[in-house]
Amino acid sequence: MGVSSPAFSPQHSQRQQQHFSSLDDKPQFPGASAEFIDKLEFIQPNVISGIPIYRVMDRQGQIINPSEDPHLPQEKVLKFYKTMTLLNTMDRILYESQRQGRISFYMTNYGEEGTHVGSAAALDNTDLVFGQYREAGVLMYRNYPLELFMAQCYGNVSDLGKGRQMPVHYGCRERHFVTISSPLATQIPQAVGAAYAAKRANANRVIICYFGEGAASEGDAHAGFNFAATLECPIIFFCRNNGYAISTPTSEQYRGDGIAARGPGYGILSIRVDGNDVFAVYNATKEARRRAVAENQPFLIEAMTYRIGHHSTSDDSSAYRSVDEVNYWDKQDHPISRLRQYLQSRGWWDDEQEKAWRKQSRRKVMEAFEQAERKLKPSPSLLFSDVYQEMPTQLRKQQESLARHLQTYGEHYPLDHFEK
Amino acid sequence: MGMAATAATAGRLLRLRAAGTEGPWRRLRAAGLPRGFLQPASADGDAAQRRQVAHFTFQPDPEPLEYGQTQKMNLFQAVTSALDNSLAKDPTAVIFGEDVAFGGVFRCTVGLRDKYGKDRVFNTPLCEQGIVGFGIGIAVAGATAIAEIQFADYIFPAFDQIVNEAAKYRYRSGDLFNCGSLTIRSPWGCVGHGALYHSQSPEAFFAHCPGIKVVIPRSPFQAKGLLLSCIEDKNPCIFFEPKILYRAAVEQVPIEPYNIPLSQAEVIQEGSDVTLVAWGTQVHVIREVASMAHEKLGVSCEVIDLRTIIPWDVDTVCKLLHHPGFFSSDSTFQCQHPLPTGNFPTHLILNSKL
Repeated sequence: MGVSSPAFSPQHSQRQQQHFSSLDDKPQFPGASAEFIDKLEFIQPNVISGIPIYRVMDRQGQIINPSEDPHLPQEKVLKFYKTMTLLNTMDRILYESQRQGRISFYMTNYGEEGTHVGSAAALDNTDLVFGQYREAGVLMYRNYPLELFMAQCYGNVSDLGKGRQMPVHYGCRERHFVTISSPLATQIPQAVGAAYAAKRANANRVIICYFGEGAASEGDAHAGFNFAATLECPIIFFCRNNGYAISTPTSEQYRGDGIAARGPGYGILSIRVDGNDVFAVYNATKEARRRAVAENQPFLIEAMTYRIGHHSTSDDSSAYRSVDEVNYWDKQDHPISRLRQYLQSRGWWDDEQEKAWRKQSRRKVMEAFEQAERKLKPSPSLLFSDVYQEMPTQLRKQQESLARHLQTYGEHYPLDHFEK
Repeated sequence: MGMAATAATAGRLLRLRAAGTEGPWRRLRAAGLPRGFLQPASADGDAAQRRQVAHFTFQPDPEPLEYGQTQKMNLFQAVTSALDNSLAKDPTAVIFGEDVAFGGVFRCTVGLRDKYGKDRVFNTPLCEQGIVGFGIGIAVAGATAIAEIQFADYIFPAFDQIVNEAAKYRYRSGDLFNCGSLTIRSPWGCVGHGALYHSQSPEAFFAHCPGIKVVIPRSPFQAKGLLLSCIEDKNPCIFFEPKILYRAAVEQVPIEPYNIPLSQAEVIQEGSDVTLVAWGTQVHVIREVASMAHEKLGVSCEVIDLRTIIPWDVDTVCKLLHHPGFFSSDSTFQCQHPLPTGNFPTHLILNSKL
C-alpha cells in the first residue's frame, strides 16, 4: 500500500501555479527541481580528477586538434606576440625602476601575458573591462600607449588619473577599461551591474570581469556570481588562477575543484582553460562572448596559469616557494615561448626578427620611461577636486588653506616637481 | 538626551550664566537632573498592560503652494511618488533590492513593477554587498540606479562598496569614471519595538566619508523633494527614511516632481537664546522641546533641520552660533538619538568651533 500524500491547501497550489494531485509522489518543493532518492549518499567533490583543462596548443606550440585551431591571420597572431613581449619588457624596466627608487611600487605580469592577450583579442573594443590589477596586457592590446602606463606609474601630469593612485592602477575611459582599485573583488558585482545596464540598453556589449583565484574567495565574488545568474547578465567572469595569492597557495585558498567548479553551483556555464595557451584563451572567450550577448547569461572561464614573478615589489617570493618551481614555468610552460614556437613553425617569425624586435621594444619602453621621469607631477590643488562632482565649501576652504600654506612655507616642499 | 532633560538643561545653563558661573555643558548632563521634571502627569495604570512607546507627535508643515496640485500622502507614499516620477522621467532608472518587486516591506515600491516593468523594478538575491556593488556598476555604465537596503541596520555588509568604492570612484579615476547616478535608500531609526537590528541610525559611520552624500528627511514633503534631489544628484547618495514616520507622518505633498536642495539646512523656527539642531524623527521631538522651553522656562530656541548630514550646511548652523546672547558654540545643543559613542552631533560641535 502506498504512502498517502499530504493534502495541499488551495493557497499552495496557487503559489506553485500548477495542479497538484494528491496521488502525485514527486517532490513539490519550490527550491529545487529533482527526484527523490531513498539511499543516503553524500556527493563527493571531485578534486582528484577535476574539470578538464581546454587547450589548443601543446607546450611546444603545436596545434593538437586542428579543428580547434582558430586560424587567425598572421597579422593578428603577430600582434598577440608583440603585445605579450612588449608587456614583458615594460614589466622588466618598471620593476627595476622601483628597485632604483624611481617609482614607488610595481606589479609584474610575468607568466600571465597569455590570459590578457587571448581574452582581449576575443572581445569587441567597446566591451567594458573591469580588472583587478594584473591585466595590463588587456590595456596594452587595446593600444594604451606606453606614455600613459608610465604616466600612471610615475603619477605625472600626463596621468589620466591625476596622480592620485598607487602605480598599476590604470584606467581609460576611451578604451573602456574601468580604473583599477586596490580592494579585491569589489569589481565583480559592479561588473554585473554594468552588464545589466548594457542588456537594458540593447548595447550588444559584453562586460568582462577579471579576478584572481584569491579574490574569488571574497564575499563580493559570491555576490557577483549569484546576481549575474539570477538577473541574466551578459558577463564573462575571467578568473586568473595563477597558483598564489601573495604567499597563499591554492591549497590554502580553497578545498574544492578550483573556481570553475563553483560556476555550476550558481547556474553558470563554466570552463577551465590552459591560460598559457593564448589560442585556448582566445577560443573560450570568443565563444563565451558570442553566447553571453546572444543569450543574456553569464559565463565563467577559469584560466589556469602561473605567477612567475613576485606578487609585487613589496614581495620576495623565495620566502614561500622554490626557485626550481618558478624556473619550471619560466622555461617549460610560458605563453610567450609557446606562441613563439607556433609562429616559427608557421614561418611567421625567426631569430633575426626576434633580435630586432627585442631591441626595438626595449628602446620604445626606455624612451617613454625617460620622458615620464622628466615630467612634472600634477598640481597640489588637484588633491581636492573630483571628490564630488562639484567642490563643496569645506573642500574649497581646505584647498585655499593649502595654497596659503604653500605661499608661506613653500621652501619646505619640493614644489619645483609639481605643476603650479 | 530625553527631551525633558534637554529643556531643563537649557534653562539651567542660562541661569548659571546669569550667576556668572561657567562650565562645559557636558557636566550638566551628568548632574542628574530629576527625571519627569516637566512631564505631564501619567494616566492611571490600567489592569491590562499596553505596550508603551516613546511619545512624539509628527508636526506637518503647511501645504506647499508653489509646486502645483497636492495630495494627502504619508511618508512611504511620498517615496513611491518620487520613485514614480523618477522612472517616468528617466528611462534608464531602475529600482532593485530585497522584496521591492511586490511593493517592499514598507510598501515604498507598490505598483511600480506593474507600471514600469520587471526589468526596471526587480528583486535581487539577499546580499547587501551585492546590491550596492551591482548598483555602482549600473551607475558606472551611465544608468540611474536606485538601490534599497531593507533596514539601515543591514547596510554594513555594503560598507566597503560604499566607502572604498562608491565614494572614491570619481576621485581615484581622475574623473574618468563615476557612480554619481547611484542612490541607496534605506529605512532608518527607532520605531519602538525594533530593538537592536531594526532601529539603527548609522549615519555617523558615513559622516566622515568624503565623496558620498547622506540625507535624512523629517516629513513626506521633505522626503519626496530630497529623494528626487538625491536621485538627480551627480554623486552617490544615501537616503535614510525614518520608518516610524512611514505611516505616522501625513501631509499634503505635490504630485508633480520638485526638488529640495541638498546640503541646505532649514531653520524651521527662529529663536535667540539657544540653537537646537536635529534630523529625521527627532526634529519633531525638538519642536516640542522648543515650545516647552519657551512656555516653562522662557527660553527662545532656534530649531534647525540639518537634512543633509554630509556635506552639511556649515554656514547656516554656524552663523547662528554668533548670535548675541550666545557665549560660545558650547551652548549649541545637539539633539539626536542618545548615542554618546562617536555620534555625528559631537562632530558638529567640534567642527562648529570656527
